[in-house]
Amino acid sequence: MSVRGVLAVVGVECSKLSAQLKARIVLAACAAGPFAFAAAMRVQSSVPSDTLFGRAVNDSGFAVPLVVLGFAALWAFPVLTSVVGGDLFSSEDRYGTWSTVLTRSRSRAEVFAGKVLTALGFSSLAVTALAVSSVAAGVFVVGQQPLINLSGVLISPATALIHVTLAWACVLPPAFGFTALAVLLSVATRSSVAGVGLPVVAGLTMELYAMVDGPEAVRRVFITSAFGTWHGLLTEPRYYRPLIHGTTVSAAYFVVCLAIAYRVLQRRDIGA
Amino acid sequence: MTVTVAAPGGTAAQALALEAVGVCKRYGDRDALSDVDLVVRPGVLHGLLGPNGAGKTTLMRVLLGLVRRDAGSVRLLGRDLDAAAGGRVPHGVAGFVETPAFYPYLSGRRNLALLARLDDGPRSDRNGKVKRALEQVGLGDQADVAVAGYSAGMRQRLGLAAALLRAPRLLFLDEPTGSLDPAGARDIRALSRRMADEGAAVVLSSHDMSEVEELCAVITVINRGRVICSGTVGALRTLTSAAVHAMHTSDDRAALTVASGRPGVKVKAARDGDGGLEVSADVNALDAYVIALGCAGVAVRVLERRARSLESLFLELTGHAEAIGAALPVSRDARERTCASAVAL
Repeated sequence: MSVRGVLAVVGVECSKLSAQLKARIVLAACAAGPFAFAAAMRVQSSVPSDTLFGRAVNDSGFAVPLVVLGFAALWAFPVLTSVVGGDLFSSEDRYGTWSTVLTRSRSRAEVFAGKVLTALGFSSLAVTALAVSSVAAGVFVVGQQPLINLSGVLISPATALIHVTLAWACVLPPAFGFTALAVLLSVATRSSVAGVGLPVVAGLTMELYAMVDGPEAVRRVFITSAFGTWHGLLTEPRYYRPLIHGTTVSAAYFVVCLAIAYRVLQRRDIGA
Repeated sequence: MTVTVAAPGGTAAQALALEAVGVCKRYGDRDALSDVDLVVRPGVLHGLLGPNGAGKTTLMRVLLGLVRRDAGSVRLLGRDLDAAAGGRVPHGVAGFVETPAFYPYLSGRRNLALLARLDDGPRSDRNGKVKRALEQVGLGDQADVAVAGYSAGMRQRLGLAAALLRAPRLLFLDEPTGSLDPAGARDIRALSRRMADEGAAVVLSSHDMSEVEELCAVITVINRGRVICSGTVGALRTLTSAAVHAMHTSDDRAALTVASGRPGVKVKAARDGDGGLEVSADVNALDAYVIALGCAGVAVRVLERRARSLESLFLELTGHAEAIGAALPVSRDARERTCASAVAL
């Protein structure tokens, strides 16, 4: 496997994505959604008070990206991270193009690596777009007021911006874990419906389980729990154990899912 | 076991475009390919013939690294095709299996540009190569139309253009003219022939017997996953159990009666509609039959050896493979002899 070969595959996949309406719509939604949310909060009298930082959504612009982060963890991240990862492999089955791709000069390993990198890149781009747009929406629609953190301490706008950035960075590991899960389902089922839909269903199921009083040991291996690990960064003093645990769980999902997916693709007979 | 054939300028193994030995592929309890050998030399159009489900497409998939073989070895342009290493197709090898498929939301030109990006080669010449390939297959005018709007024939042409991008020295074509109109089929045949004339080895799988007969110098017949025979058309004709003669007599009905029960002679009404009989028999049996006709008062007015069409040969080989198995080179040694005769072309 060569870096040049992998980059060639990444280039091809990016070209294909840029020609697809789906990718543009997702990124446009990531960019515009937070502005619509912030504007809606400004015009309506009630605020999402049952959500972390929901009460402060009209008091500090930095509360907006944190509220969006809390909402996105429920359903948006599984969708954003699987919409490309869950389709990159199975779309070759849908179009019947595996034979076309694999009779060029790239090995299956290079094709796999290139596609996975593209999926991870798109997941990063979508999360980043949502984060940047949320911060921009908060700042432009609400303002740059200081933020009261979860311990009730007032933090300056500059510090708040750093904390918000770190909070969004914390969701990248579980986002990559979900992307890997989507890749596995896409490779194994050869169906884009399963590749995109099942991670979303799995995410919602895990979130629902977290709401009921089930065994803690089960809840701790759910990747969705990693989406809330940023809470420890907005307390005084900070606590990192959930973040470390969530990142470890995300890494385990990432490695196991990609290892199985790679094995399945390597052993697959194309067109048989 | 490696097939070795003396060739000028080095060993035969180095000179061969394709060398597959003992290839096996099993799906569940079914043998899709069983101990298949295939040897193709540069500059030769090599036909793969066989009925539906014979294993031709599976064999092409194995040779292109799309399907993992269970046993055997494959060398393409002198390089091992190792499925365990990802089955990367060596540079200079190209082709398509069944109907070529492309991304329907992209134009033909854009599809080829992306495929060229997946190939080795300088970036600077990509657009030129794509343009030349499109023009070679007659898609220059439709190059910027989305593939979703292409007909099956246009996709077939685009598949060939995608193969040409790799400047193939070994080209696999699976039913390349199946979806084309007669003019398009003629163009593709001419292109295939030209590529072989320029030194490329072309492996052509087709159900069109006349196409294979017209194009291919060497033919391999596959049935039920096994190579039944391989060699030149002329050599294959000699493998049949008996020669066929057209015969006209003074009394065809009496001639049929005389033939009934006679060992080594099969006589039936000719299928060409001109009347007369078709006699299958070796020389000795035929002599005895003609003498018997004379004794019975039946005059033989015409008796001529008929050149067997590839189709009749194919039907005989695949339809009665077991019956004539003893006469065919199904053993490894015999296959190597026919392979040797094939590569010696």
